[in-house]
Amino acid sequence: MIEVAQLRKSFGDLTAVDGVSFTAGRGEIFGLLGPNGAGKTTIISCISGLLTPSSGHVKVDGHDAVSDGPAARRVLGVVPQEISLYEDLSAAENLAYWGGAQGMRQPALGERMRQVLELTGLEDRAREPVKRFSGGMKRRLNFACGIIHQPKVLLLDEPTVGVDPQSRVRLLELVRTQARDGACVLYTTHYMEEAETLCHRLAIVDHGRIIAAGTLAELRAMLGERDLLRLSGSFQVEAAKAALAHIDSIEVLQADAELLILALPEASRRLPAIFAALAAAGSDVRGTTLTQPSLESLFIKLTGKELRE
Amino acid sequence: MRFLWISVRKDWSRVRRDPFSLATSLAIPLILAVMMSLVFGRGQAAPQGRLLVADEDSSVASNLLLGAFNRDPLDKMLLVEKVAQADGHARINRGDGSALLIIPAGFQEAFLGNRPFQLQLFTNPAQTILPQIVQESLSIMVDGAFYVQRVAGDQLRVVATRNAPPDELIASVSVSINHLVTSLRRYLYPLAMDLETVVVADRSESKSFAATFLPSMIFMALLMIANSLAFDIWRERLMGTLRRLAVSPAPLGAFLAARLIFVASVFALVALVGLVASRGLAGVPVPNLPAAVMWLTFAGSALFLMMLVVAVTASTARAASVMGNLIVFPLAMIGGCFFPFEWMPAWMARIGRLTPNGWAITQFQAILSGEIDARQLAVAVAGLTVVSAVMFMVALRRLRSGFLV
Ligand SMILES: Nc1ncnc2c1ncn2[C@@H]1O[C@H](COP(=O)(O)OP(=O)(O)OP(=O)(O)O)[C@@H](O)[C@H]1O
Ligand SMILES: [Mg+2]
Repeated sequence: MIEVAQLRKSFGDLTAVDGVSFTAGRGEIFGLLGPNGAGKTTIISCISGLLTPSSGHVKVDGHDAVSDGPAARRVLGVVPQEISLYEDLSAAENLAYWGGAQGMRQPALGERMRQVLELTGLEDRAREPVKRFSGGMKRRLNFACGIIHQPKVLLLDEPTVGVDPQSRVRLLELVRTQARDGACVLYTTHYMEEAETLCHRLAIVDHGRIIAAGTLAELRAMLGERDLLRLSGSFQVEAAKAALAHIDSIEVLQADAELLILALPEASRRLPAIFAALAAAGSDVRGTTLTQPSLESLFIKLTGKELRE
Repeated sequence: MRFLWISVRKDWSRVRRDPFSLATSLAIPLILAVMMSLVFGRGQAAPQGRLLVADEDSSVASNLLLGAFNRDPLDKMLLVEKVAQADGHARINRGDGSALLIIPAGFQEAFLGNRPFQLQLFTNPAQTILPQIVQESLSIMVDGAFYVQRVAGDQLRVVATRNAPPDELIASVSVSINHLVTSLRRYLYPLAMDLETVVVADRSESKSFAATFLPSMIFMALLMIANSLAFDIWRERLMGTLRRLAVSPAPLGAFLAARLIFVASVFALVALVGLVASRGLAGVPVPNLPAAVMWLTFAGSALFLMMLVVAVTASTARAASVMGNLIVFPLAMIGGCFFPFEWMPAWMARIGRLTPNGWAITQFQAILSGEIDARQLAVAVAGLTVVSAVMFMVALRRLRSGFLV
């Protein structure tokens, strides 16, 4: 339902999206995972027709997003990253207006409004002007306005930023429901856990390129069954690297004067050996974090930097 | 088509929720009107008024009544002139004089005998404030006199029998009338005498201050509102609602058309309320109300589209706001919105009438004075529509490409 082929988009000298290709089908939740400035929003804007690609092409439900824009937009639902609501109007008035913009009519519109207000937990505040809402409530309404018409293709741009945990669980459940009902969902986020629990397939984006793509299992396999060990303290970088080189199957992903990130199998059993080697190399370890293989460790492995700075 | 009405309704709902931003557009012209009337209106309001009095009674009581008009502060505004009744009618019908007061024969007798009597006041509708002052003072005096008659009737009857009442007595009675009026007015009994006011049809040719200033004030309001409503496109852009709309199947053209309908309805309302209010409050005659409202609606909408083109051409909200003000204020200044063309040097008025708002004011004045016929008006409206359509397309084109990214 979404086909992106060799998509490129430049703003002047800056190439925000650089040769991105992927497809996502009916009932699928496809994740775009990447740090700030990776190009996620730019990709979404090219799909929704807000931006015209510099090259490559985008199809939505078989319609070209540029040459057949109106047809492509008819199947589309978008939840923009920035909150896009009439602040003077109430939640209900916003929903009614955006439903109307999608060609919905009463009584179906009223019925669906009740439904999404309940699903987003806003039914008690439906008559209040949006400007009196909290940030999280605005987010939820922003989301509700994007799904009011039960679109075939749903583009969600970091829809859960700043939403409390309970509401987030409900929103994610809502996304799953849309997919189960046959929608194709494109979901961008920089939350690892969300991508891991929600998405059927994923693409990891950095500097406008897809650096890895596949199912969660496929991506994990790229990392191997290794743990991620994050050590903080003060390190003699070269000496520490040399000392660690003597320990079996350790990979140093990142090393600087205050932080060491290592990938290795069975890390917990081998901690004493690592501490001993580092101490001998004149380093002082003050904190340790051990994580199981995850998208985060994959991201660090692929890019040499952490996803959340 | 349905989206069009949904969108118009949305715009009105937004105004209902936040009427303040629209109201502030009206504040400038209103403040200006007040200031102007203080500066220029005063000179005219001073002793220019002429109260014609036909005193058929020529009694002490009638003289007492008239004496009240010769005391401060009324003497500063009104000259009392005695006339014969027929002459007075003729003059007020010509618009010469602020009002004509007729004191019927038998006034004193009725007054002293505590019997009902009638004073007649004919006012000149071309003048607004002065006849009102006369009317208000008269009714106060009638109230007061009635009370004096109740409490001091005996004393007055004594005075009336003599030929020449002593000045002190007149003065003291007059003072007591004033005193009683102010302190006891609300306790007075229902009146047994009444004051009949007749408004004479307008014959005057000279335009009052309000009539001269009205077109300027209305166009000032239109220009301010046009600027503020045009800038709202940037609010929609910053709120993100315009982007959301652009990725929905609803056409941007319908959105913009809805906005134009909304704006036109605001102008129609402002024009109607403004004209009716200035007729009711300031007595400015508006002979051709439907044509005047229609013209103001079309002209306001065209000014809105002009400012919209400016707003969407700007690259940031700030630039849009600065450019908007840089255009609106000089246009208002030279185009007859701050000062009527009548008050400008001829060369300046000539240039001013060539500005979009100056041209529209000129047409509006012609509508008010009936100097324009239906055919000429139709041509002007058609011209305005063509220009508006072009500006609409320019704004829409910019909204479709470039404005949103
Ligand atoms: N309209 C624009 N003009 C110029 N540069 C832009 C524009 N929009 C985005 N960019 C640049 O393109 C790059 C990608 O931006 P984009 O918004 O797509 O990132 P993102 O992955 O969505 O980031 P975030 O997680 O912060 O939302 C950034 O370097 C950004 O500065
Ligand atoms: Mg983004």
